[in-house]
Amino acid sequence: MTDLGTIVASPLEEVAPPRGQHGAAAWFLWIARRLGLAVLTLWLVSILVFLATAALGDPIRAILGRDYNANPGRVAELEKLLNADASIFSRYFDWLGGLLTGDLGTSLASGRPVSELISGPVQNSAMLVFLAAIVMIPVSFLIAMISVHYRRRRPDTVIQTVLLAIAGLPEFVIGVLLLALLATTVFKVFPAVTISSPTGHPWDNWKVMVLPTLTLVLWVSPYVSRIVRASLLEVIDSEYVELARLKGIPEGVVMRKHALLNAIVPGIQVIALQLAFLAGGVVVVETLFSYPGIGLQLVDSVRNHDVQVVQALSMIIASVYVVVNLIADLLSILLTPRARTAISS
Amino acid sequence: MLIHGATGGSSKDTLDPHAPVTAADIARVNNLYEPLLFWNNNYELEPALAESVEGSEDAKTWTIKMRAGVTFHNGKTVTADDAWKSIQRVANPDAPLSAGGQLSTILDFGACKVVDDTTLQLVLKAPYAILDSLLAEYTLGIIPGGEFDPANPVGTGAFAYKSFEPGKTSTFTKYADYWGDAAFVDELQIQDFSDDSARVNALQAGQIQTVDNLPYNLVDTIKGAGGGTLITDTGAWVPFTMRVDQAPFNDVKVRQAFRLIVDRQQMIDQALSGYGSLGNDMYAPFDVAYAADLPQREQDIDQAKALLKEAGQEGLQVELFTGDDIGSVATAAANLFKEQAKAAGVDVKVTKKTPFYDDQYLQYTFAQDFWNTRNYIPQAVVGTFPPDQGGTYNETHWDNADHRDLVNAAAQELDDTKRAELLHQAQEIEYNEGGLIIWGFRQQVDGYGPNVNGLEGSKYLPLGSYKFNKVSVQ
Repeated sequence: MTDLGTIVASPLEEVAPPRGQHGAAAWFLWIARRLGLAVLTLWLVSILVFLATAALGDPIRAILGRDYNANPGRVAELEKLLNADASIFSRYFDWLGGLLTGDLGTSLASGRPVSELISGPVQNSAMLVFLAAIVMIPVSFLIAMISVHYRRRRPDTVIQTVLLAIAGLPEFVIGVLLLALLATTVFKVFPAVTISSPTGHPWDNWKVMVLPTLTLVLWVSPYVSRIVRASLLEVIDSEYVELARLKGIPEGVVMRKHALLNAIVPGIQVIALQLAFLAGGVVVVETLFSYPGIGLQLVDSVRNHDVQVVQALSMIIASVYVVVNLIADLLSILLTPRARTAISS
Repeated sequence: MLIHGATGGSSKDTLDPHAPVTAADIARVNNLYEPLLFWNNNYELEPALAESVEGSEDAKTWTIKMRAGVTFHNGKTVTADDAWKSIQRVANPDAPLSAGGQLSTILDFGACKVVDDTTLQLVLKAPYAILDSLLAEYTLGIIPGGEFDPANPVGTGAFAYKSFEPGKTSTFTKYADYWGDAAFVDELQIQDFSDDSARVNALQAGQIQTVDNLPYNLVDTIKGAGGGTLITDTGAWVPFTMRVDQAPFNDVKVRQAFRLIVDRQQMIDQALSGYGSLGNDMYAPFDVAYAADLPQREQDIDQAKALLKEAGQEGLQVELFTGDDIGSVATAAANLFKEQAKAAGVDVKVTKKTPFYDDQYLQYTFAQDFWNTRNYIPQAVVGTFPPDQGGTYNETHWDNADHRDLVNAAAQELDDTKRAELLHQAQEIEYNEGGLIIWGFRQQVDGYGPNVNGLEGSKYLPLGSYKFNKVSVQ
C-alpha cells in the first residue's frame, strides 16, 4: 500500500497556485501547469516502461522456447514484426509516435491489433473499479460518520478494531475467504469465477460481479474510512465547529454543513489514490475470480512476452493514476473555499 | 451444456487444426476435427475417418480407404481428396507443421495420388512401416480441401464451431450428423483459465463440469467437494540429459554411475507427489516393443561409487542446468538429485536458468528437458539422431551408428515381431550406454464435477482425449 500520510498531509500546499494573478487567467494558468506536469509525468513513464520491457530479454526467444533453433522462418517473421534490427532509440520513438497517434501496435502473440485486444478488458476493469467505487465511497463515509458520532466510545472502538483488522488482510486473503464463504464451501450463492459469455459483457449476469466488487470494497474501504474519520474528528474538535454548536445549531446540521464538507477534501485525496491504485491492483482480484479485465490480460501478456500489450497496458494504468489525481486536485480546490479564492483572487 | 475449464490458454490461442499450442487448443481441436486414425484410450490405433490404412509388402505404398458417409459440419461428404490436401498442408516440405515433420521427409509427393473419392494412395521415398501411427496424431485433422478458415472452421468432429475468443472462451454445438456416437450435451463451452485455483473454485461452485491437468495438490479439494478424479498413466517424462560427447559423461561408467545414483521412487514421491510410474532409462513405455524385460534399475550407491572410481572421477563436481520453463517438476527433481548425489560423493551444483530454452539449450553438458508420450521410433529419431537426420532435440549428442541402423531397420520392417526384436536391441544399447536418466513417467490427473458421467481415462491425452461427446451432465 502506498504511504497515505505524505499524500493526505496537505494537498492544498502542493496545488496552490501563484498568488496575485487574476480570475480566469489564473485558473487557466493553473490548469495548464498541471496538465503540463501530467504530460511530463507520462512521458517519463513511457521511457521507463519502454526500457523495462526492452530489458526483459529477447522476446522472440521467449515466445518460441525450445523451437527457436528449429524454426528460423518464424524467428525472421517475428524479428520483422518487432523491427529488431533498428536501434533502441528509433524503436522508442516509433513506439511513442504510435502511442500519440493512437496506434498501439500489433500483439506478438495473437497477431491482432493491440487496441482491439485490450478494449474489452479495459471496459471490464473500468466497470469493476466503477462498481467498487460507487459502493465503497458512501459506505466508507457512512462508517466514518457513525464512528465519529460515537467517538471515543465503545462502538467507535469496535468499528476501528474491525477496520484495522480488515485493513491488515491482503486482498487475496479477503477474496479467498469470500470464495469459501459465499461460493464454494459454506454457501453456494454466488459464482466463483466469470465464465465468459461469447457475446456480451461479464456483468450481464450481475451475480458474477458481486464477489470481485465486494473484495475490492472490503480491501479499500478501511483506509478511506479511517482517513475520513480522522479528519472529521479534527474538524469536529476545532473551534469553529464548537462555536456553531454553542450557537445552538443541531448536531446533524453541524455534522453535514460544517464538519463533513471540510473533512471531505482529505477523503477525496485518499479515494483518488485508492481508485488509481485499484487500476493496477485489480490484477490479483481478477486472477482470483478469473475476471476478464486488464489484470488478467496483463498476466497473460507477460507470460507470453507480448511486449506490445504489456507496454500499452502499463501506459493505460499510468494514465489512470495521473488523470485521477488531477481530478482529485481539481475537486479539492473547488471544494475548499480558501484555495478557490486563492486562485482567482 | 457442458463447460470445460481448460488449463492455460492465452491470446495466442488458435483453432488451427494443425497447430494447437496450449491445452485449451488441444481440447478444442479434438472436438472439432478428426484424423484418419485414432489413438484409443489404451494408446493403440483404431480406425477413424479412414476405414483402413494398409501398407504394401515393401512398406512403400500405403492405401487409405475412407469411411463412407462421413460429412463435414458444412454438410459436404469427406473425400480422399480432402484427406490428401490436409496431409499436404501439414507436411509442406518448406514449412512442416507439428504432425508433418516426419511426413514431409518421407512422402514422395509426386507419386501420391487420389485414386477415387474414397481411396488415397500414399507413396513413400523409403519404406516406413509405421506410417499409420503418423496419421493418427490429433494434429492431423482432416479439413475440407485442406484449407483452414479461421472465421469459419469446419471439421468432422462431434461438435461444430459456434464462437471463439482467444484467451477467453469458445463455444461449440452438437453435430447431429456425427458419424460416431453423437454427443449427449447440446452445447460445449471451453473456458480458458490462467489460474488453477480459480478453475478448482469454479468446479466446486458448479460453474464448470470438467478440468484437465489438475495440479496434484488440488486433488483432495476436488474429492472433498464431491467431484471425481481421473488418474491415468502417461508416457510423459522429464529426463536428466548427459552429453555423451563431453567430459565427464563421455565415459560410459560415469553415465551408468549417475543412473545408479537416482532413487527413482523418491523422485516420484517428491517431484511428482507420488503420481508417477517408475522409469528404467528407456522412453516410450506404451510402445508394443517396449523392453519391459530389462531389469529395473535401482539406486545402488556402492556400485555408483565403484564405477566413478574406475573412471577416475571420485569427488566429481558437475553443474546441472534446470529452469521453470521445463515444467514445475524439473526444478524439484534437480534439487532432489543434488541431495541423492551427495551419498555417492558427487557434488552437483544446480543452476536455474531463466529462460532455460535460450541459445544454450542443446549445448548444456548436464541438464533436463521434457517430453510427452510417443512411440519408440519417432522419439528415437527426434531425440537421439544427429540433427541432419531428424534429431531436432538431441540433447545428449548421442551419435551411435549401430543404434541408428537398428531404428532405421525397424522403421522399414512391416512384420511386428521382427520390428519388436530390432527395437529391443536398440533399447538395450540405450539402456546400457545412453545419456538419458529417465526416472519416471508422470500420471495424468483430471477432475470432474459430481454430476458428470461417461468420462474414461486415456493414455493418449487428458480427460479421455477430450472426447466430450461421451460425457453427459445430469
